[in-house]
Amino acid sequence: MNRRTFLKTGLAATSLMMTPPLLRRSLAADPVTFYGLKSMSGAYASYGEFAEKGSKLAVDDYGPLLGATPRYVTIDTEGNPGRTVRKVQEAVQQQNARLFGGCTLSSTALAVGKEINKAGGVFMTPAGADEITASECNKATFRWTVPTYGAVQQTVRPLFESNPKAKRWYSITPQYVFGEALLTAAENLFAELGIEHVGNSYHSTQEQEYSGYLTNAAAANPDVLLILGFGGNGASCLRQAANFGMKSKMTILLAWTQGLDWFQSLGPDLLEGVYLGAQYWHQVDAPVNNALVKRTREVYGINPNYPLAGDYIITKIIFDAVAKAGTTDGAAVIKAMEGMRYDGPTGPEMIRAQDHQVIKDYYLLRGKGKAAMNDRDDLATVVSSGKSFPEGDQILCRMR
Amino acid sequence: MNATGEPLPAQSSPGRSGQRRDASASLCSRLPGGPAAVVAALLVLMPVVLPSRTMATEILIFAMATLACNLLLGYGGLLSFGQAIFFGSGAYLSSLVMIHGGFGLLPALLTAAVAGAILAALVGALAIRRTGIYFVMMTLAFNQTAYFIAYTLSDWTGGDNGLLDVPRPSPTLFGVTLVDLSDATAYYAFTAALFFLIFIAVRKIIASPFGSTLIAVRENEARAGALGYDTRNFKIVAFAVSGAVTAPAGALYAMLLNFAPLENIQLSMSENIVIMTVIGGTGSLLGSLLGAGAWVIISDILSEIWPRWLILTGGALILIVLYLPGGLWGGVESLMRRFRRGGGTRRTPDGVPENAGAAHPME
Repeated sequence: MNRRTFLKTGLAATSLMMTPPLLRRSLAADPVTFYGLKSMSGAYASYGEFAEKGSKLAVDDYGPLLGATPRYVTIDTEGNPGRTVRKVQEAVQQQNARLFGGCTLSSTALAVGKEINKAGGVFMTPAGADEITASECNKATFRWTVPTYGAVQQTVRPLFESNPKAKRWYSITPQYVFGEALLTAAENLFAELGIEHVGNSYHSTQEQEYSGYLTNAAAANPDVLLILGFGGNGASCLRQAANFGMKSKMTILLAWTQGLDWFQSLGPDLLEGVYLGAQYWHQVDAPVNNALVKRTREVYGINPNYPLAGDYIITKIIFDAVAKAGTTDGAAVIKAMEGMRYDGPTGPEMIRAQDHQVIKDYYLLRGKGKAAMNDRDDLATVVSSGKSFPEGDQILCRMR
Repeated sequence: MNATGEPLPAQSSPGRSGQRRDASASLCSRLPGGPAAVVAALLVLMPVVLPSRTMATEILIFAMATLACNLLLGYGGLLSFGQAIFFGSGAYLSSLVMIHGGFGLLPALLTAAVAGAILAALVGALAIRRTGIYFVMMTLAFNQTAYFIAYTLSDWTGGDNGLLDVPRPSPTLFGVTLVDLSDATAYYAFTAALFFLIFIAVRKIIASPFGSTLIAVRENEARAGALGYDTRNFKIVAFAVSGAVTAPAGALYAMLLNFAPLENIQLSMSENIVIMTVIGGTGSLLGSLLGAGAWVIISDILSEIWPRWLILTGGALILIVLYLPGGLWGGVESLMRRFRRGGGTRRTPDGVPENAGAAHPME
């Protein structure tokens, strides 16, 4: 390319850059649009499908907001944090998007929260990472999920208190940030309650074969086997523990589970007698939950599960805050959300202003046998529930 | 026989390489300004035509990584499933020197390039000790090792949560900010300028005696060795150049997202880079841009149509390999040739359309 051609090309380039984009989407016209970050494709598509149902139900049932019918837009996270951040940037730049909710993956939620904070928007997530409302907290980001501390407090403590003789506990932990957080919380509580931690086995999140870890656990002769993996890890570990006959020899507790859809995939034969920690359970008798169960059955013909309920209430909270603030301005909506008290799917809930953490119940469930089930989703019974959150100096959030 | 032991999609018999060079070179060369002008025009058109400048930037970043993969696969015949090592390392290293070392934009990119080159030379030096499927398996193993190192060093990399708060500093001269890169258009322009320079540099490398020898090694390694060339060194240098280009691409991606996800160094990233290379056309530098663009745009469109969109992309890949062995660029070339001749594709004596799937190494 000679110099003349280069200069001509450069001139043409500059001219074209100055012209308005040809295929750019038009700016959002509706006054209130909620952007749901859902894993509609990729590895977590089954989760995203329910989460989207929850958000859509909340939007459809809300009625007029700031004088117009609210609008809902799904952004597919594809189970890919990088792609999600890019799509959020596009929504902010092109559609002036400000109200976001969802995210399955913690890594996505953390990165997206930072991006939305920069844009002056609002983001609420049911993701699991404690950092969201601790070391990586920010003004824009709110979290509905109970942190690992609360999950352990509301499962290990009531189980131990119901059977104080069960003093020997063995844990199996996925070796990554989330698993470590659960283990640390469990070890702290063991020390407080005088529980003897007779051993721990780490495994990779890609682990499929648990026989070695389970053999070690059986050799330690524990009273309780504490499984800290969830999703596929927890399911594989539980299946193999049952095959080893460990269900009859010791109590098994999974401190963090995905709830109904996960239970359905495992079935009552496997779950019977197993203790399960859960963020949400559709049989909880609370006004908002009863209404949610009724509407979900009417609209979708199913009972709500954790992703559906979580994304439903997240969407509703943001709309309530918009209505209270009378604007979609991020700062005003955030102010309206901080300290908000409301009835949620778990009963009375509150958003703590200090770290933007929702204070809500966490459940200890016990798997039911087939004979005890009243319907196909009656897979567990609530043993106990309660609220446990880091307080005072334990709150690590320094709001930015 | 090439280093992977597999016939390359874009290759014909060694004896026809000269014929390919002549045939395809004429296509872009006849355009005003040649391939560089075509790239410059595409770089200008992309932010205008595409839905967003952020997407255009992402395409360019992946095109850089694809360009580097193409250097190995298309010109060196080295099918590397370890490109994510350099992409992810570039993202992490540049982010860390910016966060903890206060490095500016250009020093951070330079750090990534140098580290990427060194890392790639090391990986290459070990991997090329084996050929064929064993070479591919070595690159896979290196990628898995790098992934678990990043996963384990969570204090530095953020582990599965990713490395957050990656800055996007603006370039400065004597304390004066030259351009504010927080603006999406400015960042696109910066990335485009860098891509253009890299494109020119890689073209010059391919056109140099080194490039010709690399192609000779690909076509017939034994013959190149018999002529006195140390084929191992050529491959190691090709790896180093590939790493020096891929790592800054990773760095630019981290700056685009203000975040370096663990996925950057996962095997799936290596797979994606190889897929983009094959889609665009191995042995075609312009095809790299086409492949990256097609992958990002198609992924975006298909993911909104069907949750299991990866099945569709898999199908598309099969169709391209079967019916467009030269990738999309090979298809474009065939169309251009037909258009110029007014229809009818000239066929070689063995029935293969002339230049089918064989993009010119210079492009």
